[in-house]
Amino acid sequence: MYSDLLHALPDVFAWTNFAAVVIGVIAGIVVGAMPGLSATMAISVLVPFTFGLEPLVALGLMAGIYNGAMYGGAIPAVLLRIPGTPAAVATTFDGYPMAQKGEGGFALQVAVVSSSIGGIASAFALMLLAPPLSKVTLLFGPSEVFWVAVFGLASIIFLLGGNPIKGLISACFGVFVSVIGSDPIYGNDRFTFGQLEMLDGINIVILLVGLYALPPVIDLLETPLKTDGVNSSKLGTEPIWKALPRMNYWKTWLRGSFLGIWIGILPGAGGSMAAFMSYNEARRTSKHPETWGEGEPEGVAAAEVANNADTASALIPALTLGIPGTAVAAVMLGGLLVHGLQPGPMLFRDNPDIVFGFMWQFLFGAILLVLLGGSLATNSFARLLNLPRPLLGSVIIVLMLIGVYSIHGRMFDVYLMLGFGAIGWVMDRLKFPLPPVVLGLILGGFAEENLRLALRIGRGDPLVLFQNTTSLILVALTVAVVVGPTLKKRFIDSRKKA
Amino acid sequence: MKTPLTALALVLTATAAFAEYPEKPVEIVVGYSAGGGTDVMARTVAQFLEQELSDGASVVVRNMPGAGGQIGFTEVSEAAPDGYTLGTFNLPAALALTKDRAADYDVDSFTYLANFVEDPNTITVAATSRFQTLAELLDAAEADPGAITLGLSSLGGNDHFAANMMQDASGAEFTLVPFKGASNARTAIMGGHVAAGTMTLGQTSNFPDELRVLAVLANERSPFRPDVPTAKELGYDVQMSSLRGIVAPAGLDEATTDQLRAALSAVNENPDFQAMMAEQGNPIAFMVGDDFAETASNQDDIAARIWAETPWK
Repeated sequence: MYSDLLHALPDVFAWTNFAAVVIGVIAGIVVGAMPGLSATMAISVLVPFTFGLEPLVALGLMAGIYNGAMYGGAIPAVLLRIPGTPAAVATTFDGYPMAQKGEGGFALQVAVVSSSIGGIASAFALMLLAPPLSKVTLLFGPSEVFWVAVFGLASIIFLLGGNPIKGLISACFGVFVSVIGSDPIYGNDRFTFGQLEMLDGINIVILLVGLYALPPVIDLLETPLKTDGVNSSKLGTEPIWKALPRMNYWKTWLRGSFLGIWIGILPGAGGSMAAFMSYNEARRTSKHPETWGEGEPEGVAAAEVANNADTASALIPALTLGIPGTAVAAVMLGGLLVHGLQPGPMLFRDNPDIVFGFMWQFLFGAILLVLLGGSLATNSFARLLNLPRPLLGSVIIVLMLIGVYSIHGRMFDVYLMLGFGAIGWVMDRLKFPLPPVVLGLILGGFAEENLRLALRIGRGDPLVLFQNTTSLILVALTVAVVVGPTLKKRFIDSRKKA
Repeated sequence: MKTPLTALALVLTATAAFAEYPEKPVEIVVGYSAGGGTDVMARTVAQFLEQELSDGASVVVRNMPGAGGQIGFTEVSEAAPDGYTLGTFNLPAALALTKDRAADYDVDSFTYLANFVEDPNTITVAATSRFQTLAELLDAAEADPGAITLGLSSLGGNDHFAANMMQDASGAEFTLVPFKGASNARTAIMGGHVAAGTMTLGQTSNFPDELRVLAVLANERSPFRPDVPTAKELGYDVQMSSLRGIVAPAGLDEATTDQLRAALSAVNENPDFQAMMAEQGNPIAFMVGDDFAETASNQDDIAARIWAETPWK
C-alpha cells in the first residue's frame, strides 16, 4: 500500500493537477470567507463541471476547496463574528474579541497556521491509517452513534457559556428544528405544513446563515456612521514568520488534531463538533481559563486546528465504506462517483494512482494554506472592515441571499433563512447562546435516527443501548461531562473550607 | 378573447411540429443532487444523446433534488410535453412514493422512453457471518420470528419491497431496520450491527472480501457475479431490482416520441456508452417504449399491493 502511495506522487505534480489544488485552495478561502457560501455548496456547484475534467484535476480542486474553506470560514468569524462555515462557529469565541482588541491580524495568522497543521495531520491520517481507522468506524453501530450524539450535545450545553439553562433551551430549539421534515424511519411528515421543500428537513446552512449572519448585519446597519477603520488599521499585519514564534500551542494543536481526526471518522458529526470539543478541552486544561472568550489566541488555535483536522479523516469512512463523515465529504463522494470511482476496498486496488494522488493533494492543499491563506486574508479580506458600514452590511446580505438561494435554487429557503434570522436576532438580544442551536440541529437528527434504529435492532428493548463496551465508554463520558463540573466545584469549595 | 389565444397556440404548436426537433436545448431533470448514481447516468446519457439527436443538439442536465426525488418527478410530469423536458425515472421509488404520500403524478403521467439500468436486489450477510446459505438464514428467521435483523435503505423502496417479498415467499419473519441509504446499511452489516441485509448487487460489488451475497433476486444469474445463485433457483420466486430510465411528460406527440426512442436506442448501441456505463458499475438492462411502460405498470402494481397489505407508515 505504501508503495502505491509513492507511485501516485509523480502524477500529483503534473502541472494541471497541481494548479488545480492551488486554484482550489484560493477559491475555497474566498468561498469560506463569504458568509452564506460554504464548502458544501461550492463543491456541489463544481461537481457537474468536473464531468469533463481529468479525475486528479477535479479531485485536486475539491481537496483545495475543502481545505481552503475550512480556514476561510475563520475570516468573517474573526472580523465580524459571522462564521463563514458551520465549522467556524467556535472560532468566533475568541477570534472576534481579539479583532476588537486590535489583534485581528494575529488571530487570522493563528487561524491559518492552526488550520494548516490540522489539515496536514489529517492528510497523514488518511494516507497512512485509512484501512485501520475504517475498522474503528465499523465499531460504531446505531447505539454507539446515538451516544456520540448525546455526548456531543451534553458537552456543548454544559461546558459552553455560563448558563446551562439557556444553553439547554437553545439546544432544544436546535433539536426541534432537526425534527422538521420526514421522520427517519417511516417517512411521516413532521411540521412541514404540506411543503415539499421541507420534507428533507432544514439544511444546516440555512439555519447558520440566518442565525449567525443576520444579527451582526442588523448591528452593522444600526450604527451606520461608525466605521471599524480604527480596528483594521491596527490589524497587526506583521509578516507571518515574525508572528510564528508567538504561537506556542503545541499541546492544543496535538489535541485538536487528534480530536478532529477522531470525530471525522465517526459518521455524521463533522467539523463543528470537532471544533467545539477541541475548544472545550483546550480551555479546560488551560492554566488561565478565565481569559478564554475574551480574546485568547489559543482558543482560535484550538477551534481552527480541529475543524481542519477532520477534513481528510472524514474521507476515510467515505472512501472505504461509502459513508461520508461530513456533509462536504458526502458531496465529494458524488464527485468521485462522477469519475466512476466507487467507494470500497476495491477503490484502493483498482485506482490506486487516483485515490492516493487525491490524498497527496489533500496534504499539499493543507501546506499551501499557510502560503496562500495568510497574505490573502490579511491583505484583502481584512480591508473589508474599511468599507462604510451600510455598504459592508448590504454586501453581506446579498451574499447571504445568493448563498442560501443556490443551495437548492429556490426562494423558499431564503424566506426560511430570514425567519431564522429574526429568531437569531431575538436570541442574541436575550443572550441565549447560539452554538447549541447549530449543534442541536446537527446532532439531534443523528441522535433520533440512531436511537430509533438501535431500538428496532433491539426489538424495542432499551437495554440494547448499553450492550457493548463502546457504548458504555460513551455513556461514562457523557455522565462525566454532565456532573463533572459540579463535582469539581464542590471539591474545590470543600477544600477551601478545610 | 379565448379564440385568438387558442388559434395562436395552435399556430405555435404547428410551427413547433414542423420545425426540426430539437431546435433548442433539451433538458433532463434529475430528482437527485449532482454526483449520485442517477445523476451520473443522466450525464452519461446526455453526452451521447447530443450526438444522436442532430448536429449541434444540446442536452443539459438539471438537478432538482428533494423529497426523495419527488420534486424532480413532479417537475417532469407537469412540464409541457414538447420533447424539451425529459427526466430520469427511478423504479420502484418514483411510483412507490405515490402510494404512501400525496403526489401530483401517477404511473400515467409519463411517456416512457427507455430504461437503461437494472440492478437486482440481493440478500447479503457479512463475510464473517455464520450464515453460509440463504436457506440457513431463512431457517433462523423462521425458527425465531423477528430475531434476524435485516438492514436496508429507507422504507418504500426496492430494498423494502425485496425484503417484504422474500418474507412472503419463505414464511420467514425479519426485523426490518431501515437505514438512511444503502451504504449505511452495508456498513452496519459489515460491523455486525445487523444480521443480514438487502441491497442491490451493484452496491455489494466493491466489497467482495467483506460481504457474502447469498442470493440475487433476479430471473437469471448476473454476469457480474455468476457464482451467486438466484433466489428462484433456491426455490423462492422473488424478483426485485432498482431501475433507472428516461421519461418524458405524458402526451408527447408520436413523432417526437419515436425520434427520442430511436435516439436512445442508438445511444445504447454505442460501444463507448456501454464502456462508460460498465466503468461506473451500472448493469445495463435496456428496455424501450412499451416494454418499459409495462415494467413501470408492473412495479406500480407491486407497490400498490405491498402498500395495501403492509402499509409502512
